[in-house]
Amino acid sequence: MSAPVSQAARGPWRPRVTLRGATAILSLVGVAVAGYLTWVHYAGLEPFCVGGGGGCERVQSSEYAELFGVPVAVLGLAGYLALLGSLALPEELSRMAAGLVALTGAAFSLYLTYVELVEIDAICQWCVVSAVLMVALAGVSVARLSRPSA
Amino acid sequence: MSSRVQQKEAARKRREAIEAEERRAKHRRGARLRLAVIAAAAIVLTAAAVTASRLSQEDAVAQPQAVSERFAGIPQDGIRLGSPSAPVTLVEFADLQCPFCGEYARDVLPTIIERYVRPGKLKLELNLLTFVGEDSVKGGRLAAATTKQDRFWGFTDAFFTAQGQENTGYVTDEFLKQTAAAAGADHEAASGDDATADRVLEQAQSAADRLGVSSTPTFFIRRGHDETPLEIDDLSVETFTAALDEALR
Repeated sequence: MSAPVSQAARGPWRPRVTLRGATAILSLVGVAVAGYLTWVHYAGLEPFCVGGGGGCERVQSSEYAELFGVPVAVLGLAGYLALLGSLALPEELSRMAAGLVALTGAAFSLYLTYVELVEIDAICQWCVVSAVLMVALAGVSVARLSRPSA
Repeated sequence: MSSRVQQKEAARKRREAIEAEERRAKHRRGARLRLAVIAAAAIVLTAAAVTASRLSQEDAVAQPQAVSERFAGIPQDGIRLGSPSAPVTLVEFADLQCPFCGEYARDVLPTIIERYVRPGKLKLELNLLTFVGEDSVKGGRLAAATTKQDRFWGFTDAFFTAQGQENTGYVTDEFLKQTAAAAGADHEAASGDDATADRVLEQAQSAADRLGVSSTPTFFIRRGHDETPLEIDDLSVETFTAALDEALR
């Protein structure tokens, strides 16, 4: 029969989900969201928008929805897949690659959210979800980068 | 003796602690430097992406500018395009939001202009209806008001070029401003000209009622006072040119 182990004896508290695990989960959700937006774009469908109002369609059909002919949804999908792919790299390289992609993705998502609010005057709920995911991924990546190397 | 050994041991431990702390500080500095480098690279990449987005957006808006040049040198008077002395008029009824009207304007109209209107064989008349929805009304009113500036054809052409999904609210003030700019129209003057907008749209609706127009696009050939429907099976250049060649014979 083992004696109860105190917190101090177990060492400092560690989250049950590691930062790599959090990156994987958030990226997978991001792949699903960006994948859906990519699919509706190429299928010529209107994205499902909770509450209606046409905000998603308005944003998706605006001139900001493409970057020199490449749909922004495709760029988002590529970003999330790159984040997933970065997890296969050695730890040091993985942190740096994920940090670069997530920080760039988060900053660009915030710019696109500003465009939605100020210039298009409509909000796409899917884009907001994607922006929140990217900001969360950026936070996780900064935490990974802030840890000293092993 | 024992005391000396203990002192040496304590000194060794202190040294090791200092070295360990130095190693940790070095790692922390390394982590901070790495984070700063990645953040700087992300800022550069974001700036590039935002610049690309702005340029891409300007490019999309600038596209109608070139299209409106299609009408350069061709007389425009209100809803009419072409020489007043052209013997035949192609009368069109359209809604700015109607996808087939957009398809016709983008794919067929340029050929009709170059082949029949510019040489003075045909003039065009475009009657705008606004039944598809609120975006039709917003776009139609501003387009109708540009007739006073004789920028109506440039405006409708730029609108059809940038046409979006029906009734999605894409016809914003900004969209109308950009469309007016592409047509070289004074947006401010047109948006305040309710009298012209009302008059032009009412005339179009009266003509549609008189001719029994129930869908768009619908075309008629007018020769003198005689107006006959132009039967078109599909919106291809070949079909239109064949029908117009027949009508102009």
